[in-house]
Amino acid sequence: MKRRSEALVAYWMLAPALLALGIFRIYPIAVTCWGSLCTESFAHAGKLLFVGLANYLDLFKDPIFWKSVWVTIKLNIVINPLQVCLALLLAVMANQRFRGIGFYRLLFFVPIGVSLPIACIVWRIMLDPNNGLIDSILALGRIPAQPFLINQDQALWCIVAIATWKGASFWMIFLWAGLQDVPREVQEAAQIDGASQTQRFFRITLPLIKRPLLFVLVTDTAVNFLLFVPMFLLTRGGPAYSTNVLMYEAYKSGFTYGEMGRALTIVMVLLALVMIAVVAQFSLFQREKV
Amino acid sequence: MKTWLTATLIHILYCAIGFLFLLPLWWALASSLRPLNDIFRDTSPFTWRALVPDKLTFDAYRSILFEKGFGRAVFNSLFVAFATVLGGLAVNSLAGFAFAILRFPGRNALFGVTVLTFLVPFEAISIPLYAVVRSLGWLDTYLALIVPGVANGIVIFLFRQFFAQVPRELVDAARIDGASWLTIFFRIYLPLSKPVIVSAALLIFLFQWESFLWPLIATRSEGLKVIQVALAGFEQRYQTLWNELFAAASLAALIPLLILLPLQRFYVQGVTAGGFK
Repeated sequence: MKRRSEALVAYWMLAPALLALGIFRIYPIAVTCWGSLCTESFAHAGKLLFVGLANYLDLFKDPIFWKSVWVTIKLNIVINPLQVCLALLLAVMANQRFRGIGFYRLLFFVPIGVSLPIACIVWRIMLDPNNGLIDSILALGRIPAQPFLINQDQALWCIVAIATWKGASFWMIFLWAGLQDVPREVQEAAQIDGASQTQRFFRITLPLIKRPLLFVLVTDTAVNFLLFVPMFLLTRGGPAYSTNVLMYEAYKSGFTYGEMGRALTIVMVLLALVMIAVVAQFSLFQREKV
Repeated sequence: MKTWLTATLIHILYCAIGFLFLLPLWWALASSLRPLNDIFRDTSPFTWRALVPDKLTFDAYRSILFEKGFGRAVFNSLFVAFATVLGGLAVNSLAGFAFAILRFPGRNALFGVTVLTFLVPFEAISIPLYAVVRSLGWLDTYLALIVPGVANGIVIFLFRQFFAQVPRELVDAARIDGASWLTIFFRIYLPLSKPVIVSAALLIFLFQWESFLWPLIATRSEGLKVIQVALAGFEQRYQTLWNELFAAASLAALIPLLILLPLQRFYVQGVTAGGFK
């Protein structure tokens, strides 16, 4: 009797959260799944028509899609390790104790308050080839002006830099929190035993923060596979499709060209890619039992 | 002598990284206070005056807030963010409590699903979410902006991890005294969880303050524009009103920073206590 009432209370407490997650998270995923197998028919005034795998087959024949897949993968292979490593470096730096560290910690927090759209807009003006601050600063060192966002070899890497400027700082928090949980005594004991600073970091600290590290890597990967704002605000997928990631292609298909079936199919492919990446990361971390 | 040198090198390194983080915001802020006609005067060629302007004016702020309707966007974003924070704290802390303390069939499975939802960012589901919100009749309303952001897998996870660390004896003692679960939640757990409440509130606040794609899709009318969407629209419409664009960007960055920086310590404490370890 007691047990049953406890369970009942639990379900009541969970109901609002689970209901909301169900309606606004899980159901839309199901819709994506189903929608990728359908097409909106003009004959039946927008009614969904089941077409099986036709959307996928069309998509796989489209060179623009494959180009987007490649851009998305290229972006993620670079950006995720980069952001996690820099976030870890920042976390280690923030975790030091010396006079004035409080001030530096405040500076490290600044990009967290600057949203990605704002970061994009301000960085765009800074990277402008005509009046841009960065080219002016480069000119001080006699480096010629760079085209940055309007060049197809540089645009994607500019986006990586801007997103990392913001992301490294955001993910730092979670790793810093993990570092604060590493007991000082363990560090000191190792120091007495003659372990060098590098040894202590790789042999003791890193294994002890494996869980926050995995959390950050996995969540960051999910976010970056769906990175959309910089492409929307800065490059519109260009120049020459060089920043046309899958999420931007999906947005264009759905909201510019009204091809919902194609848009949802691309999102399904994206979700599949995220899942593959996440599973790979989990198994990598599992194998490396230190 | 040697320690003095190391200390100086360390400060130089920290300053360099801090400068890189501060530069865009500082430059935007400095430029927003300059008159439009000499906005890039010190930028190219670059002089230090680009970062410390000599003539200051607040014209740009006056113009965006009172003439270009930016005040409305600031209000909308604050309203949406605070409403979501209130709803989110209530809904997610209750769920976190149930997952951490109560025993019931299906607990692990439901928790697993909850955790998985945060691997699917809003961007991925924004297209089908549009259809869901349309069928609820919420398109172009505050509800469309607020309600989908309330339940949040990461925040539930944060609360659960924190509550699970509170000693169990407290609960057992209170149960013997005949306290209901709700009483235990409100009287014992909530008062203990200040840092995690701060972290959760800030996470939800930032999440809503920064959201861009979803408000862009879900609202059409001018009166409902949130700050990020208004800013992007402003950039496209008034491309050459640089000072006002900088003012808008500075405003949109300073508001969350003014909330975040004083709470910085709690924020990290809360995430630590939340057990991302």
